[in-house]
Amino acid sequence: MTTAQHPDLQQLSAWLDQALEPAEQAHVEAWLREHPADAALTRLWAADRDALRSRLETVLDEPVPPAMLQTVAGGGRSSTAAANAPRWRRPAMAAGLLLGGTLLGLLIGVGAVTRSPASFAALPLPWRPPALAATSWPHRAAVAHAVYAPEVRHPVEVNVVEGSAAEQKAQEEHLARWLGKRLNLPVRLYDLRPQGFELVGGRLLPDLAGPSAQLMYQNSAGLRVTLYLRRPEAGSDTAFQFQREGDLNLFYWIEAGFGVALVGKLPREQLLALANAVYRQAEPNINPTPTPKPPAS
Amino acid sequence: MQAPDCFRQQLLAAIPRLRRYARSLVFDVGSADDLVQTTLERGLSHWHQFDQRRDMLVWLLSIAHNAFLDQRRRDARLSFVDPAQANAHQDSQRADPGVDIGLRIDLLAALARLSLDHREPLLLVSVEQLSYAECAEVLGIPIGTVMSRVSRARSALRELLDGPQRADASPSLRRVI
Repeated sequence: MTTAQHPDLQQLSAWLDQALEPAEQAHVEAWLREHPADAALTRLWAADRDALRSRLETVLDEPVPPAMLQTVAGGGRSSTAAANAPRWRRPAMAAGLLLGGTLLGLLIGVGAVTRSPASFAALPLPWRPPALAATSWPHRAAVAHAVYAPEVRHPVEVNVVEGSAAEQKAQEEHLARWLGKRLNLPVRLYDLRPQGFELVGGRLLPDLAGPSAQLMYQNSAGLRVTLYLRRPEAGSDTAFQFQREGDLNLFYWIEAGFGVALVGKLPREQLLALANAVYRQAEPNINPTPTPKPPAS
Repeated sequence: MQAPDCFRQQLLAAIPRLRRYARSLVFDVGSADDLVQTTLERGLSHWHQFDQRRDMLVWLLSIAHNAFLDQRRRDARLSFVDPAQANAHQDSQRADPGVDIGLRIDLLAALARLSLDHREPLLLVSVEQLSYAECAEVLGIPIGTVMSRVSRARSALRELLDGPQRADASPSLRRVI
């Protein structure tokens, strides 16, 4: 038995939000390991939290009403405004938004931290909605990478690295099922561990005509690569392509109803090795079959 | 002086999350969007008060919070949307059918029955994933109050979902993942 003090409900709740001091966080964690009833309560809370998130996340996909766009765009513009723009120290939240069914890969502030502004050369200032519609999907994949890869607190929506092994497994299944349903594609959580990259989790993103998904991987050095998955336009098969977006490299291809872009700040050869691993694993998606069982013979 | 473009772009980028938060406060799409509209207008007219080192979303959420309180004060007749109606509305919307729909419908009704004091911090922390400090900033309350309200909101929500028989930590695991 532990000699530790019984944490109260407030502490349990704050523990779930990772809002306690590290020592206290560890204390509660140790307590929960030995007190299944309290641990079960926190799991229920976590389940409620996840259910709330999933209940409300569809709002993010809805196109922005024109009245709001007009409000924000209206009222004229100061011609010197762009020049006077302050340098932002932290990335602004969120990047994509739907504009009358058109996606703007709108990116704010991210470049200010470490990235070369060249990555975002396609971001037009001043803002002109129609001109933005022309961005390519690999570009959107790069923007999504640039937005989320530096995130410390919320790199992904569904996290598969927290909790016990069983919880991680459950989260992985949830992630694959959820993204699969939303993209209407058999989303597979590609295994890049042989290449040294662990899956961190994933998120749903808005693409031009519907949802897309981002899976994030990280190696032991904390370097992140992301996989952008989308349902491509009909008849747009594309062979393996390499592209450079600022200091980001990306490989992308479209095959059999699956558009994949792998983005990272990795040298081309390394990224290619990862892309090959994904490509090999993606193949079974073409004809989704149940896990083959050895014949009973 | 007009708000600069960079500010407007940040504002645009924040709209989806503002709408989500408003929807969880007001439930009805039209009223929620009215709240967002008001928030955007106030944000634009006070743009010079925004400190660029701060998080735009946190700033906007606090405007939305205050606008919501103003609106409730102005219109005392405003009542929560009937949970059954909210459910029907929810059913009509596209949602991920992969997760426990029964629970979510319960959850939405339960959420609507939480007091605003409980609902707001719970949503800001759980759904908007703000830190306790950011949540305190949005609501204009101390961090300690955020902590206790989030905890009480969780317990209250559980009680609504489980029924009142389970007061303390002897959880009946009826939840399905």
